[in-house]
Amino acid sequence: MFLEIKDLSVKIENKNILKGLNLNINKGEVHAIMGPNGCGKSTLANVLAGKEDYEILNGKINFKNNDLFDLNIEERAQEGMFLAFQYPVEIPGVNITPFLHSAINSKRKRMNEEEIDNLSFAKLLKSKASDLGINIDMLKRSVNTGFSGGEKKRYEILQMSILNPDLAILDETDSGLDIDALKIVTNGVNKLKTKDNSFLIITHYQKLLDYIKPDYVHVMVNGSIVKSGGSEIAAEIEKDGFQKFQ
Amino acid sequence: MNIQDNYLKNKKNIFFTENENVENHREILIKIFENDRFDKKNNESLKNVNLKNFLDFNYKYLVPEETSVINNNNDNSYSIVSVNGQCTSFKDDKIEITKILDEDYNDFSKNDTIEKNDHFVNLNSLFLNSGFKIIIKKNNNIKIKISNIITDDDLTIFQKNNYICEEGSSLNLIEEYENKNNSTSNILNVIKLEKNSQLNHFLIQDNAPNHNLIITTHSSCKKDSIYNQKVYNFSEGYVRNFHYSELIETNSEADLQGIFFLKDNNTSNNKTFVKHLAENCKSNQVYKGILNDRSKATYFSNTHVDQVAQKTEGYQLSKGILLSDNASYFSKPELKIYADDVKCSHGSTIGPIDENAIFYIRSRGMSKIAATKILISSFINEELSSINDEQMAEIIQKKLVRYLSKVK
Repeated sequence: MFLEIKDLSVKIENKNILKGLNLNINKGEVHAIMGPNGCGKSTLANVLAGKEDYEILNGKINFKNNDLFDLNIEERAQEGMFLAFQYPVEIPGVNITPFLHSAINSKRKRMNEEEIDNLSFAKLLKSKASDLGINIDMLKRSVNTGFSGGEKKRYEILQMSILNPDLAILDETDSGLDIDALKIVTNGVNKLKTKDNSFLIITHYQKLLDYIKPDYVHVMVNGSIVKSGGSEIAAEIEKDGFQKFQ
Repeated sequence: MNIQDNYLKNKKNIFFTENENVENHREILIKIFENDRFDKKNNESLKNVNLKNFLDFNYKYLVPEETSVINNNNDNSYSIVSVNGQCTSFKDDKIEITKILDEDYNDFSKNDTIEKNDHFVNLNSLFLNSGFKIIIKKNNNIKIKISNIITDDDLTIFQKNNYICEEGSSLNLIEEYENKNNSTSNILNVIKLEKNSQLNHFLIQDNAPNHNLIITTHSSCKKDSIYNQKVYNFSEGYVRNFHYSELIETNSEADLQGIFFLKDNNTSNNKTFVKHLAENCKSNQVYKGILNDRSKATYFSNTHVDQVAQKTEGYQLSKGILLSDNASYFSKPELKIYADDVKCSHGSTIGPIDENAIFYIRSRGMSKIAATKILISSFINEELSSINDEQMAEIIQKKLVRYLSKVK
């Protein structure tokens, strides 16, 4: 199993958020998690990426034959996990190009691969940006600084394409995007999809799933997954909302 | 030993003791020391200060054997090595350097912008043993780099410098304080900007742990003149930066900025004060601090707008990052406005490094230390990227890298 989440219970500030959650993802699969506000979707994404504000009460997560809880935040990233943030953080004064160059080299170092030099990286970045329809001028700017909501999400996808993760978690990547931006972002994701990598897509709405076809859709309510199935579930939610699952 | 006894004992090594006006002024200062109750709560000059070390000190001064060197590089740039606060006299068609004179002392003693109970400025006047005066002549545009050297351990330097930028002149002044010995420098810079002149003043402070630096600046700006000051404090010893500006004629500007990098048990006290005394003047006061370990800092900023100073623009900002739970930063911005047509603001934000930003960077595969360093660089990016002088930018960058290498 590529990612196996078993009976995961998590709390933050005395509030239980995830309650015995189970989820299995195989290599090459696209999974979508849908659920109402406050059901714990973003908590799941943050716990997977290693955010330290949460208390793990119970459960296990196995990722590529590693106990995920043995790895810190950067080690998870270096092992091939990537979280596309719902609210990407602005870092004024830190240029995108050296930032991403450092990121990719920290991953290569862990994998005992040779570090990528400046010139090769610049070429790679330029080609990936062009694939995603990202203006080269954007690469001269500081990380997320002064970006519109759409630009921030597009930049998250650019980072994802550079780091080429084994498991990409997209936390409400569709929120705040107009239809054109949504198409660019989802096209980017579809281009990255291979038989060797997996996606976990967190969303409120079916709209995103019109552009990225999931293999499995899970409904999450009150901290656990209450129903799993194919994309027909997304249509069901679009029609009737989450009420019937609660 | 009390201040008066200390003064009388060392009188032969102190400047202007023969001048009656100076001596009368010093009598007043001694009385201030005698009558003061050293109320740390209400006296900004006493915050975080070990009174015993500063008031009961061993006075020691050595006249430098070799006087300082001045190189005229024939490209409008001058390098000065000031030794124990002294500088040799020099004159050409662009600048004139002389010793400080008793008339300069008397001129400044009448100024009331600096509080009468600032004991460090008062000590400077009482024990004055060095200093120089530099005049930038009319319509000249020059650059001066001053390296401040102290020759021996345990010296107490009390230095008063006067800078006069004549009409239409422009000066880029870089002052370096990099002392490794166990000594104290108490320096007062008095700066006069004549009509349509400009001074860009950079102070690079990087002293060893046993060196104390107390530096006070008083600048006054006439019509259309500009005073820009940037302080970079990387010192491992105590530093006090108190800087005052008076905008005395219309369309003048003062920009007082500073960044300090503290660690271990180090302390830095900072103050900026701008007095708007004429119409259409602008001021800006921005200090940023990064504090690690058990370091402590204070920053008092103050904008005073006189009732005649209509159309004033005055801004203040204080920001701090605490890298440790044991570090502390006290910031107090103040505005006193007596005119009704002004734009003024002040703000202060101090806190630990943004954990969400750390998480974001780490989630891209970089370590916590790397993430912290990236965010510190980001915090001061604006100040660093605004350094136009390539040589200066390189110096500051090297010192920043050294500070960051100690961040764990």
